[in-house]
Amino acid sequence: MLAIPTMLVIATLAFGLLHATPGGPFDTAKRMPPEIQRSIEAKYHLDEPLWRQYLRYLGDLAHGDLGPSFQYRNTSVNELIRSGLPVDAVIGSLALLAAMLVGGFVGTVAALRRSRFFDYGPMFLAVLGISIPVFVTGPLLILVFAVQLHWLPSGDWRGGEVRYLLLPVAALALPYIAYIARMTRGAAIEVFASPFILTARAKGLPARTLILRHALRPVLMPLVSFLGPAFASVLTGSIVIESVFGLPGIGKYFLTGAINRDYTLVVGITVLYGALIIAFNLLADLCYAWLDPRVRLQS
Amino acid sequence: MVSLASCGGDAPGSDVPATPAIRVGAGLAADQTLRRAIDSMPRSLDPTLLTDSPAQKVLDDLFEGLTAIGLDGSMVPGVAASWEVSADGKNWVFHLRPEARWSNGDPVTSADFIYAWRREVDPKTGAEYAQALAPIVGAMAIATGHAPVASLGVDAPDPLTVHIALNSPTPYLLFLLADSFMQPLHRATIERWGDDWTRPEHWVSNGPFVVKEVVIDDRISLVKNPLYWNAASVRPARVDYFPLDTLTQVGRFMAGDIQFASIFPNSQFRWLKSRLGEQVVTGPYLAISQMAVNMQGPPFGMSRDLRLALNLALDRTILADKVREGLQLPAFSLIPPLPGYRQQVPEWASWSDERRHAEARRLYAAAGYSPAHPLRIQVDYPTNEDNRDVYDAITAMWLTNLGAQVEPYNEEFRVLVQNLRLHKSALFQDSWVGDYPDPFTFLQLFQTGFDQNFGAYSDPAYDALLAAAAQESDPARRFQFFEQAERRLNEEGASIPVLYYASRHLVKPYVKGWQLNIQDRIVSRYMYLLEHEGR
Repeated sequence: MLAIPTMLVIATLAFGLLHATPGGPFDTAKRMPPEIQRSIEAKYHLDEPLWRQYLRYLGDLAHGDLGPSFQYRNTSVNELIRSGLPVDAVIGSLALLAAMLVGGFVGTVAALRRSRFFDYGPMFLAVLGISIPVFVTGPLLILVFAVQLHWLPSGDWRGGEVRYLLLPVAALALPYIAYIARMTRGAAIEVFASPFILTARAKGLPARTLILRHALRPVLMPLVSFLGPAFASVLTGSIVIESVFGLPGIGKYFLTGAINRDYTLVVGITVLYGALIIAFNLLADLCYAWLDPRVRLQS
Repeated sequence: MVSLASCGGDAPGSDVPATPAIRVGAGLAADQTLRRAIDSMPRSLDPTLLTDSPAQKVLDDLFEGLTAIGLDGSMVPGVAASWEVSADGKNWVFHLRPEARWSNGDPVTSADFIYAWRREVDPKTGAEYAQALAPIVGAMAIATGHAPVASLGVDAPDPLTVHIALNSPTPYLLFLLADSFMQPLHRATIERWGDDWTRPEHWVSNGPFVVKEVVIDDRISLVKNPLYWNAASVRPARVDYFPLDTLTQVGRFMAGDIQFASIFPNSQFRWLKSRLGEQVVTGPYLAISQMAVNMQGPPFGMSRDLRLALNLALDRTILADKVREGLQLPAFSLIPPLPGYRQQVPEWASWSDERRHAEARRLYAAAGYSPAHPLRIQVDYPTNEDNRDVYDAITAMWLTNLGAQVEPYNEEFRVLVQNLRLHKSALFQDSWVGDYPDPFTFLQLFQTGFDQNFGAYSDPAYDALLAAAAQESDPARRFQFFEQAERRLNEEGASIPVLYYASRHLVKPYVKGWQLNIQDRIVSRYMYLLEHEGR
């Protein structure tokens, strides 16, 4: 409902900001004759007034056509996204899934056993996991598992073969495991101390029913609001992961597209990112409604 | 890799165990698949639309022009088996070999070359390197839209003969003919498929390899072309190119996933040398890193003394040995070492440091500067990790040796190029990679009116020397004119040469059949893999 105007604002801002940057997509050190420059600009409609280019772009966008890439000649932005998005989608989803399972488990255990070892230990590791950036953990993993042990390849996509997925998924998942562990622990502690759980315990419910049937949903709620945008972000890829492992995703296009002034590419993936965030936030809202009866009852 | 390497700066390799040794046998490996890295993904595999060096590397394996690149980087007969040049050096006739074939079986004919060259200069194609054909009669008139495409000074009297008419003797023509934009094209394929003709399923080329698969930003896979006229001499069965940035190339190489890296970070040279020994390969490269000045206004346009002062005050041997760790050579004049050409090294290059600094200070004072009134200016250079340490050192030298306050300022490459076009910068990096191994590609930079003459340098005496060289068909006398021209640039302080670049590669010890050359064009067809243990 609000989605369309939001997308319009995103597209306009991206378009405007990019065109405002000095330098154009066909500025090279070795200059070409003006006639040829004119011909290229005509082909890409760069010779039209800015408002016309903008309207033309919006028109194409309405048809789902994100335009041609300026950097990769004879390739469309749709095609670049079509080949790159699945890479990020697979790696990102696996990473988040792993993060939810491992992080959730660790966090819950930490909340249940408030002892030194099971609580402080994992939480210390969690802080490490959040603080150490991916461009350190990534190369470290490559150094150990690929360069020294030769157990796993040092990068590449190879159509998504499992061997090639392990290291990038691990590197990407680590900070999320840490976040989710901490979040789960915090939520779990609060939930376990809440009146309705204490009541259920007093009633003598077995621990398993307690956790799975009663505590799980309230614990999941803060996770869901975190995971919505996290999914969107992970789906558009991480520049660092793609760069370190040499993966053909779309995350690096945010950077290289801007540097190369590939107007259509940058606006295209920005619009995509915006759409994904909107979509996943909506999904998160729906999950919220399902998880929390109070939300349903309110509306 | 980055963090470990830069942490261990003083004691290279102390925190990382050495890579295990690789044992190389004598026979050929069973799997002759070459895995090479390139710096970035080619923008397009259409030779006419070539702009970037990674694309040229891949295209060198896919197409063959009238001339081809030999094992040592020299020009050897390609599609043309022989050729003659007229006495005045302006007319060349090439005789094509009848056995040359496209990968779909069609014979390669002279019409394929005419078609490709016309396509290159036609403004409608939008080829960014069209002016490379400037030596050919009519090329620039067509490219600027003043003449029809058919008026290009090339013709095909018969299917096996190509005639080229040149504006003036062009000794480097044979090198130009091996460049991607001079290679033949299969007209029927392009007319049928249009912009999509470069897709693997439509691909037709005449070189040692053809395209099998392209995954953008992941790999380009080539396989041997069985119909190439010299297919028997092509050694690899398959070549995979991986577009990777410099740090990732190092990691992949050390893991054994690639065998031939196209680059490594300058700052890791010592560290890599200590870990990998002879697998680190460097050699002279036909390129110079230099600074140029804006000649149209103060402070440099009017003051030769100031230009020379800055020139003499640079301690290039320190830059080469300490900042670049011996990887690059000091440059005292414009033209990098070229066979047959006598470099015009200025006299002050061999002076002692004290004498040189004293003279620099004298010139600085003569230009009107002093400690009370120092030069305050900015030097603009493109943002790049490798550049920053050099410019920090350069500006520190000027401060120490002269008292000049020069502020290093880095800008993103395209922003810098735009500022240079608008002549907004007084002092800037003006590095240049030679297009062919001839002094003219460098000297042209200072010709009045040349497009990339960003400093607007203009000297009628210099232009006259270049014009005289252009009409000279005797190679020795031509080089003499060039030597005089280079001397003139040195005397006038036209630019501030800094370092000559080096080509740098990482190569596994079991990869053979390659040689370094100054243009860094190492083609895959001669390369082969020996059997080996370890990665």
